[in-house]
Amino acid sequence: MTTPAETLLIVEDEAQIRKFVRISLEAQGYQVLEARLGEEGLATCLASPPHLVILDLGLPDLDGMDFIRRLRAWSTLPILVLSVRASETEKIQALDAGANDYVTKPFGIGELMARIRVLLRKEERRATPSPQFTFPGLRVDLARREVEVDGSPVSLSRKEFALLSLLVAGQGQVLTHERILREVWGAGHQEDTHYLRVLVGNLRQKLGDDPMRPRFILTVQGVGYRLAV
Amino acid sequence: MIAHTAIAVNPLPRAPGRYPFRRLAPYLFALLVVAITVAVAFLLPWLFPHASRSLLFLTGVLVVAARSSLGPSLMASFLSFLAFNFFFTEPVHTFKVADDGDFTTLAFFLLVSALSGNLASRMRQEMAQRRASLERISHLYAFSRRLASAAGTDEVLDALTDQLALLPGTPPVAIRVFLTAVGESPRDTSPPREVRRHGDDRALAPPAVEEVWVRGIPEPGHHGDWLLLPLATDRGAFGLVALAEIPDPEQLELARNLCAQAAVALDRTRLVTDLAGARLAAETEQLRAALLSSVSHDLRTPLAAIIGSATSLLEYGEAFSAADRRDLLTTVANAAQHLDRHIQNLLDMTRLGQGKLQIQRDWVDLRDLIAGALARLAEVLTGLEVEVRISPEVPLLWVQGTLIEQALVNLLDNAAKFSPPGGRIAIQAEPRDQELVIDLCDQGPGIPAEERERIFDMFYSVSRGDRHDRGGSGLGLAICRGMIAAHGGQIQALPGEAGWGTRMRLRLPLVNAEVTPKPEGTP
Repeated sequence: MTTPAETLLIVEDEAQIRKFVRISLEAQGYQVLEARLGEEGLATCLASPPHLVILDLGLPDLDGMDFIRRLRAWSTLPILVLSVRASETEKIQALDAGANDYVTKPFGIGELMARIRVLLRKEERRATPSPQFTFPGLRVDLARREVEVDGSPVSLSRKEFALLSLLVAGQGQVLTHERILREVWGAGHQEDTHYLRVLVGNLRQKLGDDPMRPRFILTVQGVGYRLAV
Repeated sequence: MIAHTAIAVNPLPRAPGRYPFRRLAPYLFALLVVAITVAVAFLLPWLFPHASRSLLFLTGVLVVAARSSLGPSLMASFLSFLAFNFFFTEPVHTFKVADDGDFTTLAFFLLVSALSGNLASRMRQEMAQRRASLERISHLYAFSRRLASAAGTDEVLDALTDQLALLPGTPPVAIRVFLTAVGESPRDTSPPREVRRHGDDRALAPPAVEEVWVRGIPEPGHHGDWLLLPLATDRGAFGLVALAEIPDPEQLELARNLCAQAAVALDRTRLVTDLAGARLAAETEQLRAALLSSVSHDLRTPLAAIIGSATSLLEYGEAFSAADRRDLLTTVANAAQHLDRHIQNLLDMTRLGQGKLQIQRDWVDLRDLIAGALARLAEVLTGLEVEVRISPEVPLLWVQGTLIEQALVNLLDNAAKFSPPGGRIAIQAEPRDQELVIDLCDQGPGIPAEERERIFDMFYSVSRGDRHDRGGSGLGLAICRGMIAAHGGQIQALPGEAGWGTRMRLRLPLVNAEVTPKPEGTP
């Protein structure tokens, strides 16, 4: 499942967190680089670019947002943010600044691994693009605009399909409300969350997704949506 | 008590213009009465042939004496004497007296009228004095009744200013009341601040008050136009009353009495305020103690499990079976998550307590909130049956989703704690009269009626000390109420279905209810 020898950089000032993440990642076959400070992390990204950066937002020397913006100035490599609870705003800011996803501290290693796999798989896909996406129970063909749930075709409206395409292309990466609204409805609709809630309700209904136990579309309260993978 | 030192109070000049007439009036009255007596005396032989004219004149003098003072009554007797002599003794129409007997009569007449006039006028004066003192007493009595019923310092001050403004005679044209801050001991503190202002707005310079205050317990004394009276009891002085232009010593005496009474009442109300402050401080202290005990208990219990399990694994890990190792590690993970929830609660409570909770509303689907809460509590809810019924009529909510989700998490967590193994937790939601009503029923032991409101008090369960074994800190429900209240909603504990368990009812106002999700299935 994992592709060994992929290199991950963890930028985190807490030695204990660095340690358990490194041990777990190495056990999964990844190579791990460590940086205690933001500047150090940016330098490592330049010197030996990793496949993914795990970034703690509370660094002693550099604001997490600055780190993301400076890295994004020249690189598209995936960034997974570690953020504290109860700060949806901070998460959304980080995502808007260019982070790809986040994990809330304290986190279990399983959650971190899942997020890392999603981001790496997405990177891999960028190398060999294909309009076909297949997940357990769901198949989406972006080119032909075809959707199948458990083998049966489902007909979607234009906006429902646009929303599903976004989620599918994200492959499990979280998408903020604002981004979905901008891409499905266009600029100027970023505040119209109620459109989005209604559309998600309709899409779930058509996909046969129980909102209480969603199989496909997960709600990330206060932040956005992601596809369950 | 206050020493009633005599001080010189310059009587104000009496208002001119009113007094000459007031002074002359009794003399005019005496003149009129004598004239009428003369007229009646001429008619007397026709009306009452045998009546004595001298007695008639004496009656006239007594009438004057009774209605006025000594001067007018003496004048009346002298005039009566002259009139009687002139009109009715031989030789008529002269002031001569022919008969010795008549002369004696006239002399007695003058003496009796002078005596009785004096007596009557003295009686009148005494009555006037008595009426004045009665008025003063009823004034004081009304005042003490008002003070007795005054519940707070403000009411006492109102009563005092009202009463001073109603002083009989010429009331003071300006009244100021100054008080020190409650709780400060007298004298060694900052000067009293003005708390009441009545009458015209002539200035009493603040330095004047400070000066008087610093100089010592202020005796009533003058300061420019102002007369200063202390507000003091035997526990010390705590204020001043300043009156502009008190006309006479009697009023000063009355004003002083009013101030002395008010001082006693103020002392009482201020003492009550002091006590209330002390009680609040004690309650805060109790709350702090409860918080400390709660925090140390709630944080240490999971920590004990974590440290114990982790050190066991470190020391004897190799001797344990794989199943035991896994068991201990599960304990570590669960206890840590428990700890995380408690810390979240403490943080939430701090934010609620500081009133800094600014809600960021957005459109939210209730089903997402319930699903989120259930997912977060998956472990706690293992072994329980959860049934969710959400009416399709429930519209989108305009709330801060994370807060409502947290409130649901706390309610569910609580329900799970008190549920018997395999128990059922039912969640129902439906809109009702511009409100969303969410009911959460459990099959736990239920809550006695008298405690249903108190369980939302912070640390209620802590102070009862009987829920620690269930792992509750008492914060959860208080936070829940705080979060719902921040949205303008309410939460209450009701008896459960079929007479057992608990039904937690959460009501949220539906804002902009016209925006409802389209019926499912229609594009």
